[in-house]
Amino acid sequence: MAAIPDGIVLQRHRDLEGRRSHAWVRRTLIVLVGLVPLLALFNLFGQRPHVATAQSANADLELYAPGHLRGGLLWEARFTITAHRDLKNARLELDKGWLEGMTLNTVEPAPVGEGSNDGRLVLDLGHVPSGQSYILFLQFQVNPTNVGRRPQNVRLYDGETLLTTIHRRVTVFP
Amino acid sequence: MDLAIRAVALFGFVYLLTRIIGRRELSSMEPFDLILLIVIGDAIQQGLTQDDYSVTGALIVIGTFAVLQILISYLSYRFPRLRPALDGEPIVVVQDGTAIEKNMKRERITVEEVLVEARLQQVASLDQIAWAVLETSGKISIIPK
Repeated sequence: MAAIPDGIVLQRHRDLEGRRSHAWVRRTLIVLVGLVPLLALFNLFGQRPHVATAQSANADLELYAPGHLRGGLLWEARFTITAHRDLKNARLELDKGWLEGMTLNTVEPAPVGEGSNDGRLVLDLGHVPSGQSYILFLQFQVNPTNVGRRPQNVRLYDGETLLTTIHRRVTVFP
Repeated sequence: MDLAIRAVALFGFVYLLTRIIGRRELSSMEPFDLILLIVIGDAIQQGLTQDDYSVTGALIVIGTFAVLQILISYLSYRFPRLRPALDGEPIVVVQDGTAIEKNMKRERITVEEVLVEARLQQVASLDQIAWAVLETSGKISIIPK
């Protein structure tokens, strides 16, 4: 047998004594790395939108928006208000989480008024006739430093009367 | 601060990848590997700096990478017990002209690959190889008889 090269220990480097578990550690880590894109396929990291609805006798509110986002993403929230009776002054109130760490690019159609109620963004949408729908688009971009979980509840009012609420939270991944 | 945290996270992830992907894959640079390398680099850059185009941002990221690299190098030097985990260990794949199938299978190396390396080192056949060792860099060292 040729002389063993310096630095090579046959038990360890040829017979792999004490290294049998290494291959399994490596395989486990490969599985964990592969798990990330697999979970992504199931929308764990965003940004596939889903529908949330809230109903009342006077109006229905539907929100179509992603619940999971990542830094830098452009995304859209679509609010659909379906009036079952005349709404004299439809008003949406959005939790602080809607704008915290988000860049609001577009609000279409532009609300007739804006304001704040106890830290929540108020959008006055005006008159929505009975039987009609009002669709509001908000388009955002996630600021890269906005990471975490925030409440994004939405309240629909007619004037000062609360009609219905959608409860939701958004999770922003780094 | 976010930049430094992102840099640490991505450094750790890339380091982990290089440790688990397999050393042969890392040492060979076929045309597709080159493209993959560029794509990975681009994906890392976007996740790392995102919309930060500042020189300060670049300094933070490069500084963080440099510090982490030095830290790993220091740990490997100072604590020999960590070396196998940080750098890996060589594996003997041929001894006295005989391929050690178990080790080759573990590292996904074929006899043909060993023969290619042997030819590059002016060794004509497997019989003439005393030792072939897959090094931590992914290169195969050939020691002729």
